[in-house]
Amino acid sequence: MDLGLIIYALNLAAIYSLMAIGISILWSSVGMINMAHGATFAVSGYAAWLATAAMKPIIATTFGNGALASFVMAGTLTSASLVAGALCGAIIYALAFLPIHDKPNYPVRSLIITLALNIGTVQGLLWFFGPRSQGLPKIFGFGRWEVWGTKIRYDQAGTIIGATIIMALTLAWLRYSRRGLEVRAMMQNAEGAAYSGISRQVTALPVLMLTGALAGMAAALLSQTIFVSPTSGVIPLLKGLTIALLGGLGSVPGAVIGALLIGFLEAIIGAVPFLGQRYVMFGTFIFIICVLIIRPRGIGGLLDDTRE
Amino acid sequence: MTDKVYYKVGRRPWEVKGHPDGHASRQRSRIPFTNRHWLKWRDVHNPKTLQRERVLVDKKPLWWSIGLSLLLVITPFLPNSLISVASIFCIYAAINILWTLIVGTAGIFSLATLAVVGMSGYIAAAANVYLGVPWPFMLLIGPAVGLAAGAILAAPSTRLDGLYYALLTMGVAEICRVFVSQLRALTPTGGAITQVDSFIPEDWFLQRPGLLLGFGGAFLLLLGALLVWRLVNSERLGMILRAAKTSREDEAFSEAVGIDFRRARLLVFLISSAALGVVGAFYAMYYRSISPTIFSLDQLLLLFAMMVIGGLGRAEGAVVGAAIVILIDKGLIELGPLRIILVAAIMLLVTIFAREGFTGSRDQFRDFRKRKAGERRAHRTEKGGEAMPEEATEILDKQELYYRRFNKRLRERLKLMVTPELIEEHRVNPLGHHSDALARILNYFRRGEMADKYVIMRLKNGEERFRIMAVSGIKGMPPRIVDDREYDALYDAYHAVFLLRINDLLES
Repeated sequence: MDLGLIIYALNLAAIYSLMAIGISILWSSVGMINMAHGATFAVSGYAAWLATAAMKPIIATTFGNGALASFVMAGTLTSASLVAGALCGAIIYALAFLPIHDKPNYPVRSLIITLALNIGTVQGLLWFFGPRSQGLPKIFGFGRWEVWGTKIRYDQAGTIIGATIIMALTLAWLRYSRRGLEVRAMMQNAEGAAYSGISRQVTALPVLMLTGALAGMAAALLSQTIFVSPTSGVIPLLKGLTIALLGGLGSVPGAVIGALLIGFLEAIIGAVPFLGQRYVMFGTFIFIICVLIIRPRGIGGLLDDTRE
Repeated sequence: MTDKVYYKVGRRPWEVKGHPDGHASRQRSRIPFTNRHWLKWRDVHNPKTLQRERVLVDKKPLWWSIGLSLLLVITPFLPNSLISVASIFCIYAAINILWTLIVGTAGIFSLATLAVVGMSGYIAAAANVYLGVPWPFMLLIGPAVGLAAGAILAAPSTRLDGLYYALLTMGVAEICRVFVSQLRALTPTGGAITQVDSFIPEDWFLQRPGLLLGFGGAFLLLLGALLVWRLVNSERLGMILRAAKTSREDEAFSEAVGIDFRRARLLVFLISSAALGVVGAFYAMYYRSISPTIFSLDQLLLLFAMMVIGGLGRAEGAVVGAAIVILIDKGLIELGPLRIILVAAIMLLVTIFAREGFTGSRDQFRDFRKRKAGERRAHRTEKGGEAMPEEATEILDKQELYYRRFNKRLRERLKLMVTPELIEEHRVNPLGHHSDALARILNYFRRGEMADKYVIMRLKNGEERFRIMAVSGIKGMPPRIVDDREYDALYDAYHAVFLLRINDLLES
C-alpha cells in the first residue's frame, strides 16, 4: 500500500469522524438521532460560499493578494460555516428538542422531525440556489508536498490536520470544561444527571450547537475537495450515521475507530481495479452488516443489559 | 305562556340510536364459518329514560366502507391523470398497510419494505420477460420471492434491535440498487426491465380502459392488503404481539407466561413480506416495467412520510397518510420542489403537535379534554368541601360529604374566635361557666373524633403528676404519649390539652 492511499484514507476518515462524533455525542447525551445533520452540512457549505463571495472584494482591497489575504479568507470561510452550523443546531433545538423532549415517544418523534427538516432544507436549497454545485475558495491553496516520493495535496493535509485539531478541541472541551462535565454526565446516565441538578433543556442547546458546528467544520473541510451542492449533505449524513452505529452509538473512540476503518476500506475498495468507486457503498454496507451481526451494538457499544 | 324548549343533554345528543323492542329476543347474523358478528352493536339502557337502546360501539367499519366505496364510485368519472393518481394511491396504501404490519404490529423497524417489493417485482418481471412465464404466474412468483427475502431479512432481526436493524435494512436496499444497476443485461435500459406482460392488454396501456382496469386491480390489491391486516393484526398473532408490545418488561412477562412472541414476530414479518411480494409483482405489471428508483432512499422517505403523517402503527393512518402525500406529490405537480417542502412541513407540524399522526388526533383531543375537565373540577372544589370530587364518587354515604363540608365551614368560623384573651380566660378557669366564644370552641372539641383525641393520664395513683396522651382510635391499640412534659396540677393539664387542640384547629 502506498502513502498516497493512506493519505486519501485518512482524509476520508477525518471528515467522517467529524460527522460521526457529532451524531454519536448527540444520541448519547440528548437521545436524538439527528437526521438533519446532512442539512446542517449543506447549509454551512452554502453559508461559507455566500460569505466568501461577499467578502472577496473587501479582502482583496484591504489585504491585497498575499498570504495574509488567503489567511483572512480561510478565517472567513471557517467562521461562516461554523456559525451557520451552530445556528442550524439552535434551530434543530427549537424545533426537534424543545417542544417534545418531555412528551411520549420522544426518540422516534425527534428522528422524524429532523428527517422532515432534512428533506425540507435540501429541497429548499434546491429551490433557492438551483441544482448547480458551487466551488469554494481553496483556503489551503493549490499545490503538493513531496514526502517520501509521494505527493500530498495541500487540501488533504489541511483537512486531516484541521479535523484532528477540531476533534482534539472538542474532546478537551468535553473533558475539562464545566459544561463538558455536564454533557458527559448526561451521556453516562441521563436520569442520574437530572437528579444531580443538570438540566436537560439547558445542556441540550450547547450540545446541539456544538454538533452543528462540527458538521459545519466538516462542510468547510470537505468543500476543499468537492463542490457544494444542495444534496451534498446526504452522503456525509449516511456515512456519519453508519459510522456512528458501527462504532456503537455514544462511544466517541468507537466512532473514531469506525471512521478510520471505513475510510481505509473505501480507499482500498476504490483502488482495487476490478471493484472501483461504484462498489464503495456496497462494500462498506456489507462490512458494516458483518460487524453488526458479530457485535450487535457496534465496536465500542455495550448491550443495554450489560450497561444496566 | 310560551312552549317549553327541551334541549338534548348528555355527551352525544347527535348520536343515532336504535330503539329495539324490549320484549323481542335478539337476532344477530354472523360472518360465515366464524364466530364473529358483522358489526359491534351493543344494547344499553338509557340511564335517564330507562329505555332500551342499541348503539354501534365500533364505527370504524362504517368509515372504512364509506371511504372505500366513495373512492370506487368517484374514480371512473375522473380525468385520466387523476385515475392514475388514484391507482398509485391504492398501491402505496397497500404497501403502507403491510409496512405498518411490520413496524406497528410486529415492532420490527425494517426499512427494507420497498427493497422486498422491488426484489420480487424484478424477479417476477425477469421470469416473465426472459423465461416467458405468463403473467398470472407472476402473482405466484412475487410472493415466493418476497417470502424468501423476508426469511433472509428476518434472521438478524432477533439479534439486532431498533436503529441497528433499520440501518441494516437500509443497507440491503442500497445493495439491491447497486446490484441491479450494475447488471450487464440491463445496462441499455439503465437497470430497468421493460416490456413486462400484464393484466392490462398492450393496446389498452395508458388508454382510458387500461387505466380503469389498472385502477380496478390496484383497488383489489388495497382490499387484499386490508384483509391481510385484519387477519394478522386482529386475530391470534396480533393479540400475542400486543401482549409483548410496549416495553422490555412486557416482553419478559409474556415470555414468562409462555407466549412465544419472537415466533409471532417472525411469522408476521414473513406473512407481510410475502404480501409485499404480491404488491411487487403487481407493481411491475401495472407499469409494465420496473426500474431501480424503487430502491432509492427518496422513495422510501416519501413512504415513511405517509405513515408518519397518517399515524404510525394504524391501518387507517397508513391509508390517510398515503392519500394526503400522494395528493400533494402527484396532484400538485406544477408546484415543483415546493411540494416536497410542503410534505416535510406537514410531517414536521404533525409530529410536533400530534402524538400519533392525524388519525391519532381524535384520541389525543379526548385525552386533552378529559384532563382539562378534571383540572377544572379540581379547581372548582378546591375551596369547597373536604372531599375531592374524585373521592366523593367513591364515598357511598353522601351524608359524610355534607358532614365534612359543614365541619370545614365551622372550623373556619371558630378559627376567627381564637384570641389571646380567650386563651387567658381558659387558663384562669378551665372548668365552669365560659364566655360564648370559648363555649362554642370547647363544644366543637368535645364532638371531635376518637382518633387522636387527647386524654390526661395520671402517672401514679394518689399523686398529682399528669401526662398527656393521644388515643389511637383503633380498638386494641394503646394510646401514644404526646410529649414528655409532666404537669403538677390537673388544671394545668386541662389547659395544656386545650392549647394542643387550639393548635390543631389553627393548623387545619
